[in-house]
Amino acid sequence: MSRARTFRGGTHPPGNKGLSSGKSIRKIPAPDIVRIPLCQHLGAPSKPIVDKGDTVIRGQEIGAQNGFISLPTHSPVNGTVIGLEDYPMPHRRKGPVVVIETESEEGGQVFEKWDDFHDHSPSEIIERVKQAGISGMGGACFPTYVKLSPPPDKKIDTLLINGVECEPYLTADDRLMLERPDDIILGMEILAYTLGVQRCVIGIEVNKPNAIDVMEKKGVTVLPLKVKYPQGAEKQLIDAATGREVPAGGLPLDIGVVVQNVATAAAVAGAVRDGEPSIRRIITVTGTGISSPCNYDACVGTLFTDLIEESGGYTGDVERLISGGPMMGIALYTDGVPVTKGTSGVLALSHQEVRDIAEGPCIRCGKCVDICPLKLVPSMIATAAENGRWEMAKEYGALNCMACGTCSYVCPAGRYLVHYIKNAQDAIRSGQGEGA
Amino acid sequence: MEHRRFELAMSPHVGTKQSTRKIMFDVVIALLPALAAATWFFGPGALLIVALSVGAAVLAEYLCLKFMKKPVSFAFDGSAIVTGILLAYNVPPGVPWWLPILGSAFAIIVGKQAFGGLGHNIVNPALLGRAFLMASFPILMTAGWIAPEEWRNGQDNPWETNGIVQEELLKMPNADAISGATPLNVLKQSFDLDKSADLAGEEGHHAEAADLEARASGIRHALSQRSTYLNLLVGRRGGCIGETSVLLLLVGALFLIIRGVLEIRLPLSYLGTVALFAWVFGGSEWFNGDPLFHVLAGGVILGGFFMVSDMVTTPVTPGGRIIFGIGAGLLTMVIRRWGGYPEGCSYSILLMNLMTPLIDRFTRPKIFGEVKEND
Repeated sequence: MSRARTFRGGTHPPGNKGLSSGKSIRKIPAPDIVRIPLCQHLGAPSKPIVDKGDTVIRGQEIGAQNGFISLPTHSPVNGTVIGLEDYPMPHRRKGPVVVIETESEEGGQVFEKWDDFHDHSPSEIIERVKQAGISGMGGACFPTYVKLSPPPDKKIDTLLINGVECEPYLTADDRLMLERPDDIILGMEILAYTLGVQRCVIGIEVNKPNAIDVMEKKGVTVLPLKVKYPQGAEKQLIDAATGREVPAGGLPLDIGVVVQNVATAAAVAGAVRDGEPSIRRIITVTGTGISSPCNYDACVGTLFTDLIEESGGYTGDVERLISGGPMMGIALYTDGVPVTKGTSGVLALSHQEVRDIAEGPCIRCGKCVDICPLKLVPSMIATAAENGRWEMAKEYGALNCMACGTCSYVCPAGRYLVHYIKNAQDAIRSGQGEGA
Repeated sequence: MEHRRFELAMSPHVGTKQSTRKIMFDVVIALLPALAAATWFFGPGALLIVALSVGAAVLAEYLCLKFMKKPVSFAFDGSAIVTGILLAYNVPPGVPWWLPILGSAFAIIVGKQAFGGLGHNIVNPALLGRAFLMASFPILMTAGWIAPEEWRNGQDNPWETNGIVQEELLKMPNADAISGATPLNVLKQSFDLDKSADLAGEEGHHAEAADLEARASGIRHALSQRSTYLNLLVGRRGGCIGETSVLLLLVGALFLIIRGVLEIRLPLSYLGTVALFAWVFGGSEWFNGDPLFHVLAGGVILGGFFMVSDMVTTPVTPGGRIIFGIGAGLLTMVIRRWGGYPEGCSYSILLMNLMTPLIDRFTRPKIFGEVKEND
């Protein structure tokens, strides 16, 4: 497809999406016990407002928003709170969870259904999106309502819906576009109305021709994008779609753009039309370490263990378990972690799939410099970081790194570039670079 | 279901199949065709020199690592083999057997391991080894030329019996040192005669000046007869072991490009600069030089595709690579045209290697979305 657009840099990891791309979304019931993390979003965890022994209904707020960059948390089931504890998280060591014994998943309407969102003002909708606890479902988990409330001096002219799904293996967004396009489109319309923008485009990589087809037949403007990692990164998507560069250290709204993931758009539609809070999501369970890979519609608080069991368990050889995709996903030490709003995939990689190379010294081949989508010099940042030279790491752009992992992917010496750069970011942000 | 435990690791969890080892062995493979040509033209002795040089490089690397209590597996990652081959490719085919061993050992021990091993060396180890040999054994390093195919054709060698050049060279003061001279050597001698002619002319010895000028152009004529573009291309000429067969070096370079190992900006900017400079300043007058001769006759094809493009010692930034290539090209030609040596390839690369950290620093790419402070 010659009309497909893209950004400069990037690489081409094998997609491996065939394992699960043909599997329809299977809605699975909530397990007997759900563990609802109170921090499923970027920012401050929500404050628990239920106690052990309380009865909760589906959709009820169990954690209150705790600050501007924060969100409320809701129960996905009717049941009884049997505990508040710290539990292993897919994104960090341990975090607070509300443990609920499930009775049923019926009823439990908390928010009013809005048949026509046009009857409500943008600020009412923003409030609803906040109350429903919607965060970005593409990976960063940034509270969506914040993105919908740009400062008055920033004129937004473009809404970009991210259906790129450039992480290998993952097919959750692809299936969502195929099976629930109307939710995504309604969500798009609501978001466009709320932001007051006319230009609304959905970006999809050309390796998902069916999704492109479905969306185009529904009359949506599709922007076909070349298959390249990290095409779905916010800045790279905006670059490909509009030719505008998000200023380093700035936000998309600085250049008049708001980006929302397809799953987030669908969640917004659910919150506005059906009064549903963000308590379910689509998750791809895949990798050759999984007996029968599939896409699920599961509620938050379901353990990865349950999803894996649902997929026929592990095959013999599992080298690594990952929350998310293979490029940016987080390796887990246990499969006993709960699904969150941001969980896009559960990936069990076999020994052959995982990169098995001993780390060697940098041979200065410059591959990382050629492919860095943010035009940094990863090898130099890493070398500086290894030697504790934070000022130099900063000079080469350490703080701009989004940890997409493209540099580590292409590095012939198998250097843990992302690791070193993240170390540098932590050190610089905590002030270790000053006065050095 | 029981919770299963797994090992942790940093993302990304997948990677290319490429590795340092594969890159090094790709370079080794790319260098081999030229070795076949060297053996064909200069005899089995050339093959022996390469073998000794490689053996010495690997052994030196192994012993260094052992001595420094580092993993000895590094000795077999292919990088020492590359250094060994390149060192041998940069010496004349007629040198004594111990010379490449000494050069290789110096290259590895001083040029590479002393700086911390693979990836940490500042200059190209093979070229440092060559510079060491040039400084320590100048006669051996400039006298060991062998006329092509002499080992098979003996005295009947048609290349050798074309005696005009030999006669002219024997009139030079250091004639014994250049019996099987390389094309660039010969060219240098003609330039020297030109210079003497100019001097004689200024002093009023017009007859002598005319004679010297005639000799200079006679040499250049003979050179063009002997070193035709075809001969230069296939490598039928005097020269260092690995530099002569341009054609087979290009085959190797093409292989590296296909394998995605060769960064093309470096050799292109280097060879482009050499050609442009040769055209402008390389002739007896401005803009009548012979760029093709200068690209084919010396070591710039070997240098450009296998040493200017050495990853470790050249810049990592796209702009830096072009600056490096241009800088090395200029230095090469300045040495060839006005310097004391007929060929400037290796010294130009060594000098530019020293500039690499500085070039990298000043050519940092503009970060995505980076704006000037006052914008």
